Amino acid sequence: MKRRLGIAALAAVLLAGGLLWGLEARRESVLTVGVYAGSYWQTPNGDCYQILDDAIALFQERRPGVRVEYVSGIPTDDYSEWLAGRILKGTEPDLCFILPEDFNLLASSGALAELDGFMASDAEFDAGAYYEPCLRAGRLGGKQYALPQESVPTIMFVNKTLLESRGIPLPDNRWTWEDFYDICARVTDLDSRTFGVYDYTWQNALYANGASLFSEDGTACCLADERVQAAVRFAKSLTDLNGGYTVTARDFDLGRVAFRPFLFSEYRAYQPYPWRVRKYSGFEWDCVCMPAGPDGDNVSELRTMLLGISARSGHRELAWELARLLSADDAVQSELYAYSHGISPVRRVAENARDLDLPGSFPAELIREIMSTAVTAPRFERSDQAMMMAESAVAEAGDQEQRMLIAQREINVFLNQ
Amino acid sequence: MDNEKTLSSLSRLMFVLNLAIIVFYSLLCLTTTLRVCDSFGAYSFLSSAGQIPPPPWRMPLWALGQYLLLCAVSFGKNRWGIERFEARLLVCLVEILLCLGVTASLEFYYSGAALLVLADLVHYVRNSFYRICFTAALILLFSFGRYEILYPLTGRIPFSAYLDYYNQTVRSFFAGTESLLICLNVLLFVLSMILLFTGQKAENSRIRKLNKQLNQANERLRDYAFELERMAEVRERNRLAREIHDTLGHTLTGIIMGSDAGLALFDAAPEEAKKRIQVVAQAARDGLNDVRRSIKALRPDALENTTLEEALETMISNFKATTSAEVFYDQQAGPLVFAQDEEDTLYRVVQESMTNAVRHGHATEIHIFLTRRDNLLTIDVRDNGLGGGEDVKEGFGLRHMRERLELLGGSLTFGNRETLEEDGERGFYILVSLPIREKEEEA
Repeated sequence: MKRRLGIAALAAVLLAGGLLWGLEARRESVLTVGVYAGSYWQTPNGDCYQILDDAIALFQERRPGVRVEYVSGIPTDDYSEWLAGRILKGTEPDLCFILPEDFNLLASSGALAELDGFMASDAEFDAGAYYEPCLRAGRLGGKQYALPQESVPTIMFVNKTLLESRGIPLPDNRWTWEDFYDICARVTDLDSRTFGVYDYTWQNALYANGASLFSEDGTACCLADERVQAAVRFAKSLTDLNGGYTVTARDFDLGRVAFRPFLFSEYRAYQPYPWRVRKYSGFEWDCVCMPAGPDGDNVSELRTMLLGISARSGHRELAWELARLLSADDAVQSELYAYSHGISPVRRVAENARDLDLPGSFPAELIREIMSTAVTAPRFERSDQAMMMAESAVAEAGDQEQRMLIAQREINVFLNQ
Repeated sequence: MDNEKTLSSLSRLMFVLNLAIIVFYSLLCLTTTLRVCDSFGAYSFLSSAGQIPPPPWRMPLWALGQYLLLCAVSFGKNRWGIERFEARLLVCLVEILLCLGVTASLEFYYSGAALLVLADLVHYVRNSFYRICFTAALILLFSFGRYEILYPLTGRIPFSAYLDYYNQTVRSFFAGTESLLICLNVLLFVLSMILLFTGQKAENSRIRKLNKQLNQANERLRDYAFELERMAEVRERNRLAREIHDTLGHTLTGIIMGSDAGLALFDAAPEEAKKRIQVVAQAARDGLNDVRRSIKALRPDALENTTLEEALETMISNFKATTSAEVFYDQQAGPLVFAQDEEDTLYRVVQESMTNAVRHGHATEIHIFLTRRDNLLTIDVRDNGLGGGEDVKEGFGLRHMRERLELLGGSLTFGNRETLEEDGERGFYILVSLPIREKEEEA
């Protein structure tokens, strides 16, 4: 009797399991995508989902059985929180856009799937098609966790009107700290309240001097490094030109400041063309590369929007296909120029002269140079706090080597806690 | 029995408490996760934890599911009463694996289920090797389960990350509840272990007591058996004595009457008297044959076909083989060839002395000396046993020995060896002296 009952129970379980499996197999696969609304690059953006929609349409041509869904209307500022909440609840999307500052947390906490396997086995994928710094932005601890979707380097904004009024020619893209300092010194006039530069800190100067504040894995700080110290001294010498006055954003908007570090996306959104938005109406302006330090080159800091696949996703293969489309497909990537303001991480798209409707100062060769040499600032769990510690140490001690060494040791202790 | 009942209700209480603890952890993690998400704290939670937690529904589902399965196995095994060794081992392994599963589903925040399973299995496993293995495994699980320093290595979020979401008061309330529940579980475990071991101790001493009583009963039974044998022997001997008396009495009466008649007729009719005396002689001869036959029935089997010398040696070696006592036999009495009744008596005396030494004196060494001076044979038996106590009483065996010896004109002395001046050792001695009759009768 007992045995018969056991067999009946086993059969029931098997039947139920089989039924569930059958239903599951018949059901149409649904791929979910996490995406933010608007632009991450501080520029207005009307059709923020256009690129994604087009990519999904392309994807569904190849994979007719798969439905792709995304939640629209999550503002960029809330996107990190939204994604973290979905991860905590275990309902994160299969494929998600990853903001540059979130990448290290998501990759190190194990939320993202490793992509090296897909990259190696997918014949259609070519890692060499990307600019190396863009691809490296999705790499942590020697493993690839995300693909680049869009990159934005930092460049230097120049007030052409102010320079012309002083008879100074526009600096070329090979200029150095010396040229930069020289122009600033000539522009600065405390009586007429004109200044050399706004918002240029030692952190902006770092990369152009071949330095980095933190090691890539975020376990060491190089505050006392000579190249970092040179950047600190250089930034201080520029501030000293202002005779104690603190330059404000208002001074800049009024056209009294010659230089300001600028995101490439802002440059493209507001670039001085009649059919574009004109933000700065009182003066003529343009952009150039960042000035090179004595130990470095005209290197920019790079920010890259990334695409990651959830480590717990049940559709990782499909997610990879869509990610590859969004990241590496020429047609999808070239839409970045129409619907966004960044630079494609794919070389042949970024350097395609037909799409590149930029003024003469940024020819394809320059784009290639900026993108190939740009540096992504290491972002890790404690980087914000460590950066604040470094800033306050610099603010207090300036360039005293002894104090810097002490501060560096303190930050190192904090990083390795 | 009462102990057993308390133990089983303690075990039930432990199962209920562990259920409560699992519900506590699951609910706390689930609600905290949902609250964190609702209050826009997910990003900071994730960055301070540094690891992604499992989906919040998984902990209650898996932990409770496996725990209920564990309860079912535990109660089922006691109800079905499995006896096969392999099946019992399998049940234990299943319980331990389920316990590990529950603990892992709870992200190792709570490993007290190991104590529950340990209390459940410790008296279920009979093989001591497996018991030690299981105990070690479960204690390891219990001790290292919540070792927070290992959490980053295994990619888990420590429980404190969930508690950190709350303010100080709520946090201490939850932490206090947690440690209270854990302590209660440990307390119940210790209590059930104490009960188990005291119960086992009482059981052991009860078994020891019963064993002692059984031994005593066995001893008495053996004594009764000896007594019974002796009584049967006495009865048989009495029967034979009666028979001898009847035949011998009859014959002797006939002889007396015949010889009286012969005496009366001796002068008047010498021929008739001669005839009568011939009849008497024949009757006497027949009587003697009868007596011989009767006596033969009394002889020990050992003496039936062998000499006394061989019979004694065989008996002593048999005795040494069947008891643990060492017997030193020293025969210096020359050839041991005597009349049948004397041989029988000597055989019985030696046998009885050795038996007494072992049975009553618990001796481990027995010395037997046989000596002969002229016609006086002496047997000196000494043992190293307990002796006969303060005043030595003559028991059944010794009385019998004396009666037999006195029938043959011999004597028996016995007592504690301490009372002998030349000896003084511990133990018992028996001294027998028997005058040997002249040998011509034998012929």
